[in-house]
Formats: sequence, structure tokens, C-alpha cells
Amino acid sequence: MEPGPAPTSSPATVATPLRQAVTARQLAGQILAAADVGAAVPATDRIVAGDPATVVTGVATVAMASIEALRAAIAKGCNLIVSYDPTFWSDGDQLGPLAGNRLLAMKRAFIDAHNLVVLDLHDGWRQGIDTGMAQALGWEAHRQTPGGLLYLLPRTTLLALARTLRASLGDRTLRVVGDPALPVERVAAIWGNARQLPTIALLNGPAEVVVCGYSHEWEAVEYAQDMIATGAGKGLILLGEAKSVDAGMQHCAAWIRTFVHAVPVVHVPAAEPYWTLPRHSRHNTSR
Amino acid sequence: MNPNALLRRDVIGGGIAAAAVAAGLGSPALAATPLSAGEVIARMQQHIGAPWKAQGVDGFKAGDGGTVVRGIGTTMMATFDALKAAARGGLNMVITHEPTYWSHPDTLTDLQDDPLYLKKRAFLRAHDMAVFHFHDNWHALKPVDGINFGTQQLMGWTTYRHADNQRLFTLPPTTLGALAADFSEKMGARTMRVVGDPALPVRTVYESWGYCSAFPGVTFLDSADVLVIGEAQDWDLIAYVQDLVAMGEKKALIILGHVKSEQWGMRYCADWLKGFVPEVPVRFVPIIEPYWNLDDPVFEIGMQGKVA
Repeated sequence: MEPGPAPTSSPATVATPLRQAVTARQLAGQILAAADVGAAVPATDRIVAGDPATVVTGVATVAMASIEALRAAIAKGCNLIVSYDPTFWSDGDQLGPLAGNRLLAMKRAFIDAHNLVVLDLHDGWRQGIDTGMAQALGWEAHRQTPGGLLYLLPRTTLLALARTLRASLGDRTLRVVGDPALPVERVAAIWGNARQLPTIALLNGPAEVVVCGYSHEWEAVEYAQDMIATGAGKGLILLGEAKSVDAGMQHCAAWIRTFVHAVPVVHVPAAEPYWTLPRHSRHNTSR
Repeated sequence: MNPNALLRRDVIGGGIAAAAVAAGLGSPALAATPLSAGEVIARMQQHIGAPWKAQGVDGFKAGDGGTVVRGIGTTMMATFDALKAAARGGLNMVITHEPTYWSHPDTLTDLQDDPLYLKKRAFLRAHDMAVFHFHDNWHALKPVDGINFGTQQLMGWTTYRHADNQRLFTLPPTTLGALAADFSEKMGARTMRVVGDPALPVRTVYESWGYCSAFPGVTFLDSADVLVIGEAQDWDLIAYVQDLVAMGEKKALIILGHVKSEQWGMRYCADWLKGFVPEVPVRFVPIIEPYWNLDDPVFEIGMQGKVA
């Protein structure tokens, strides 16, 4: 999964004594400054767990700092976790409603016991997600305008596009609205959450298919259904959050390596959180 | 044991009595008096068993109380397909649990020139249709939330419901995998997703049909082995259960899809309405699961046929 020279993850190397100790606070500051979030540093992009004075042994970028991702980072000798999505299960890691929550206490204890520090990097890395996802899919050369959301791909179908996304991103559970046989050339992408009005605007644009992480079933999903019901040749693909941003965090690791040399920087790939019932084990009733 | 069955008998009795008092069943006077959409809503308000919530999203999204009703279709979401099916069935009053215009409050501010909005509105006007958003008050039905009751009926769970909490069920011992298969079979859910160990032993299930965010979802999980919902964000409730399971807790989450989790409640809504709207046909208009996944790529939009 790692592009470029393979970073070492052996704890022996991580602990090289000649290296100057660098703290999580220092590295987080460097990363946030380089992400150019500027004066208006968004509230989401900050250290959300752990002691900022911790000496960093390695940096792991993750789509979301889940317990599983934290364990994988530990196994790679990393203790500074750079996470695109929240650590504590809410937009911007709002802890208020979690007061007294047992899992919050358990996760904090886990983070402290393993000397971990978690840096949320979300608002300052949206563009990076877009770049990384386009690179991973081989779509960058097909982008219609610099920084734009629209790609002109070799002619395919909605079903073939969905299969390509499954293969490229390792996405077993993606969901699709539309005719599998729909001819597709133009695809627009909103990685992560697709809000109602921007998604409606894209569906009304030149793209036949909008690819996103998730959109409410009663908003853009209903809109896409209604467009298709009126005969419009459109489709909507929901990748799930993890698979719709993970390659962007792979890109993040490569980017951090360009200016952080003191410690190894790796990407920990995200697993899909859920499973589906295979068709053969379902009674395929249609009601 | 089944409060809504009792309620329905009361409702049917009350409905017939009310109609008889109002006009006299079967009399020429009844046939001559057209049923207005407003009258249907007034009867719903009488039968809901709770103070009517006027401040939420419920209300007419097309037509108005003056629309003359020729037939009623209840549906989970007033999709274009649902409206077409209702129109084909001669049902010009649609009672929908979810929005018509793609947001919970059916906000039109930024959609005034939207081509699909104009098409959908034109279709509704051309067919003289009234659409009533029936969300908050149907969830407030006494003694049991109308959506919850319909889904319980489908699952055969009404006798498993806790007396002190209508959202909590104790099932005969099963596993997460078997429970998921049961949902899939009864709901025909293709794209249902599950977080947790398929072998997890399951006795208690907490429902939050429809959308569920981390709060209150987190607290629901405290009192059951499995929380079953319609949809949620990957980075709040779903992430929470992922971590709970990773920490070794014996918990799980089933994500059915919003439509699949709630539309049985709108099937029940048709039965409920029949109890006090005898003048016109009342039918349930089922809608499709919006998605397919790669295990089963099927195209159903625009193919929707009959009214139940």
C-alpha cells in the first residue's frame, strides 16, 4: 500500500538513539502548518487525545482512529496517529454528550497505556483526500479542470465502474443507485459525506455518475432515484466513509514524509466496519 | 398483550361510529359529500391518541386540505415512482413518512428552479394530488409508535416487546448472523450491513428504525445485545460500535437501510386509516430498496408495478 521507498517499521530502527527526540506537539505543529490551514485553523484539526509532550516514535496516518487502526499503528511502531475522521465518534470530537461513557474511558486508557497521541487532520486535508483518491484510482489524468470534481473516463457502465471501485479500493460493501447497464463516461466525486445541495448540483451537471462516501437516504439518494425515475441517465455510488477517504490518508503519509524525516511515517489501511450477507445465504424475497 | 390490536378495534369502532353520526353509512348523503384531505387529517388527529404535533415537519407538501380525495396511498417515501404508482391506482392523496422534496423539512429555498422539483410538482398538480408528510405524529401514535408497530408485525415480534419500553425486545436465543438473515428474509433487504461477530449470541434487541445518530444510539446499546437501525453516519454511531466490538464487548449493530427499516410502518398506516376512512380506497404503496450492491446488481427504479 505504501508508495515510494518502503519506510522502516522495525521498533529497533524507530528507537535509533542518535535521532533527536521530537514531540507530538512539534510534529503536529509542523503538519498543521504545512497543511496550510492558515490563520483560521479549524477547530477539528488539533490534538484530540494523548499528551502532546510525548516523544514520537513514528507517525501513522489513518482514515479514522478506530481501536483497530490504533492497534495496527502500534504494531508498526507508531505513536502519533494522524486521523481524518474523528476519534470519539462525533463531528469535531464533541465530548460533552459522552461524559461518563465507559467506552470513552476505555479508549482514553488504551491511548494513554500505549503512549499514543491522536491528531485530527480533517478540514486542512480535504484537498489532500481528493488528490489521494484520484491518484489511487488512476483518475488524475482524466480530471477535467484543475482541482475540479469531474472526470472524463474511458467509456464504461455503472456496473463496471462499481466493480472497478471495489477492486481498486477493496470496497466490498459499496451501494449503487441506478441502472447497472447505464453507459458512463463522466464521473463526479465527493469523497466522504455528500451533502444534499452540492450533490443535487452535481447530479444536474454533466456527470452521469456521482461517487461519494455517504449521503442521507432521504436526501440525495431520493433525488437520484427520482431523476432516474423520470428517465435521466444518472447513477449514484456510495462507497462508505472509510473506503472513500482512505487513499487520501495514504497520500497524506507520502506528503508528511516530504517534510518529516526524524521518524518513520506510514499509512495504516482502513478496514470496512461492516459486513453484508452474501446472496447465496439470503432468501431473496422481494416485498 | 397487544395494545395496538386493542387500539385498532377501538379505532375501527370509533371510526364507523363517527362516520355514521356524521353522514349515515350508505346513505345518499354520504356519497354526495366529497371527502376532503383536510377531513382525513382531522380524523387522523382524533385517532392518534396523543396531542397532535404541529411544530414538526408534518403537513401538506402538495395540494391542501381542500383537495377532494378519491383514494389514499400510504408510502414510506413519496418518491417519483411512489407517486406514479399511486396515480395509476387512482389514489390522489399520498400519506408519506419521508420527504417529497429531498430534505427532512422539504426545504424549497434553493430548489425553486430545480428541474426535478418543477417536474415533480407539475406531476402532482396534473394528477390533482395531495401529499401529506406524516412523520412526527405517526411516531407518536399511542400506545405504540406506528412505524415500530408495523415493523414488529412484519418481524413477528409484538409478543417480544418489553412492557415498559416499546423499543426493546427479548427474542428466543439466536445469533447475530441468524438475526441478520431473518431481517434479510422478511424485509428483502439486499444491502443491509452488519457490525459485529456473526456468532454473537443474541437475546435482546433495541430498535431505532430509521436514522439514528450516536446519541441516542450509544445509550440504546447499553440495554441490548444488538441495536438495529435504518441508517447512520460511519463516523459516529457505526464507529462507536466498531470500537465497542474491538474492545471485546458483546454488542452489534444492524443497519437495514432507511426505507427497509420503516416502510412496514406505512403498510400498517394503511390498515389504521381503513378503520376510520371507509369512503375511499386506502392502499399501501411499497417502494423499492434504493440501492443494489455487487452481490446482486438489479435495476428496479421505474419498474415499480402494483399498489398493494
